[in-house]
Amino acid sequence: MRRSPAFELFRYAVIVLAIAITLVPIAWMASMAFKPIAEWQATGNNLTWWPKNPTLDNFRFIFGESSTELIVALERTAAKPILASLLASVFGTLIAMAAGSAAAYGLSRFKAGGNLPLALIQLRLFPPMAVMIPVMIMWAFLKLNDTWWGLALVYGIVTLPFAFWLMKTFFDEMPREIEEAALVEGCSRFRVFLKVTLPMMAAPLASSALFVFILNWSDYLIALLLTTREWVTIPVYMASLSSSMTGQLYGAKAALGLIAAVPPIIAGIAIQKHLVRGLTFGALKQ
Amino acid sequence: MTSIRLDTLTKKFGAFSAIRTMDLEVHDGEFMALLGPSGCGKSTTMNIIAGMERPTSGRVLFGDRDISNVPMTRRGVGFVFQNYAIFTHMTVRQNLAYGLKARGTAGAETDRRVGAIADFLQLTPFLDQPSAKLSVNILQRIAIGRSAIVEPSIFLLDEPLSNVDAAFRAVMRTELKHLQRQFRQTMVYVTHDQLEAMTMADRIAVMDHGVLQQVGTPLEVYNNPVNIFVARFIGSPGMNLLPATLVELGGRLHADLGKAGLSRALTAPLAAAARGQKSRDVWFGFRPEELSVAADTAGLTLAVTFIERIGSRTIAHFDAGGVAVKGVFENDVALQAGSTAHVVAQEQSVRLFDRATGQAIVGD
Repeated sequence: MRRSPAFELFRYAVIVLAIAITLVPIAWMASMAFKPIAEWQATGNNLTWWPKNPTLDNFRFIFGESSTELIVALERTAAKPILASLLASVFGTLIAMAAGSAAAYGLSRFKAGGNLPLALIQLRLFPPMAVMIPVMIMWAFLKLNDTWWGLALVYGIVTLPFAFWLMKTFFDEMPREIEEAALVEGCSRFRVFLKVTLPMMAAPLASSALFVFILNWSDYLIALLLTTREWVTIPVYMASLSSSMTGQLYGAKAALGLIAAVPPIIAGIAIQKHLVRGLTFGALKQ
Repeated sequence: MTSIRLDTLTKKFGAFSAIRTMDLEVHDGEFMALLGPSGCGKSTTMNIIAGMERPTSGRVLFGDRDISNVPMTRRGVGFVFQNYAIFTHMTVRQNLAYGLKARGTAGAETDRRVGAIADFLQLTPFLDQPSAKLSVNILQRIAIGRSAIVEPSIFLLDEPLSNVDAAFRAVMRTELKHLQRQFRQTMVYVTHDQLEAMTMADRIAVMDHGVLQQVGTPLEVYNNPVNIFVARFIGSPGMNLLPATLVELGGRLHADLGKAGLSRALTAPLAAAARGQKSRDVWFGFRPEELSVAADTAGLTLAVTFIERIGSRTIAHFDAGGVAVKGVFENDVALQAGSTAHVVAQEQSVRLFDRATGQAIVGD
């Protein structure tokens, strides 16, 4: 079909706008991370897109170097929150993926579990906040408050339905004949699962795990309620980056934000091949 | 080598009966085709033989051994799926070697047999390629090789050629038959394509709506269908069936075909069998290939609706008082659409079926 030039122009305008809305804030953050205090505090006509005097001061600051200009010394550095975020998100993802895909496999192949899918959708339907107060009380009682493992456990539970539904769709789309072919050849169920099902599901597993990881990595509210001092995560720590003297420390926040963006990007690039395959899984003929 | 016996097999999915009381024996080393339209229960039968489904009642025996309770992993059958079920994360070689590896065959022996089967199926050039991107034709050959390599005594194929292209299908028909001749496996072949069944099978089992209709050699099933379903289903086009009333005329039995006129006198054995029936109402059946154009106006009078000329053959479509009739002729025929034709169905080829039950009326 031939489209009119006006329509083509409009189409590209929409695409450019969509890209701009997505990327401009990220570019702004990246730029701000390298600006000295005078530049990131600037307003009005002094506002600059590119840092005039690029500096790593913001990064040095959040990792503990005191800043003379800010007259602020941080009570704690960003190192521990980064570790907390990594541990809680990675283990939360592992819990969600292990339990979620095992449940999805059982349900997809053996129709086990009855109403489990609906129950899991309900878990996803009501906001996690609705249950967080009881969870806080339980976690306090179990001494899981303010620990990365306590947080990882909650992350695992909250993102479990997500992992389950993604994986169930993928398992449903994998032809069961492939497993039956291996079974007929005399392999045990478990061996077939290890040698045939898992390798063939590598792409869907990788892409689902990435989605789940990003959900966990970007959580703020749960971490805010369940961690107080020792194991606060990046988003919670970031919110605390302000001082009574200068207000919000945007430069430091931007620097931390840039660091926080690294793991999902690395993971995304590492599994890019799988990501595309995972997103189109089932669209291709086997 | 093993025979397969299905003993009063039934399978229900909820209220739906997929297989109704089926008895079938596949002899040792025999090539049996399970033929029928989609949803007739042929694939379900196959899955029960392989152990992927459990029968609702009845038994499956390999030789004298009841294997109804043996899980599929230990039945030792070869199974080729319609959608190949290739392990796409492995190379062609790994796919072929899979069954041998699962059985713990030694490495050197595995290599030798992979080489041999790859040679037989012309897969040698692809052996070390990843199997994910190969063409459908090659995938299906890999699937056949993967099952054949362990030399199973029972080989089950579920519509293996329905996804491959027409030219390759013709090649594979020959190769599969050759494979079976070479290894003498007991082979069960599910298909809805009667050409595959007719060309490859020693015997054909025709199924419809979960009921086994007829078992016999391709020619038996073609020449002497036991009911109108088999008559219509086998043959391309299927048997012509015209509603008729039997009438005595000068001491001989004829079929009154209404508007189309009166048939020639039935052969003596058929007439004897037909006289033994209570009802006079029958289906008058004959193969399209057994129709010839009469030189005079003596034969059946049919209106010619249209003529298909497909090179080697000519298919003429007739109308016999609202019933479609087809005739297949070796050469071109001097018939015009819109005209009236006088045709004769060879006496020897005429088959009669009871109009109430659809069952064949068979003479001695």
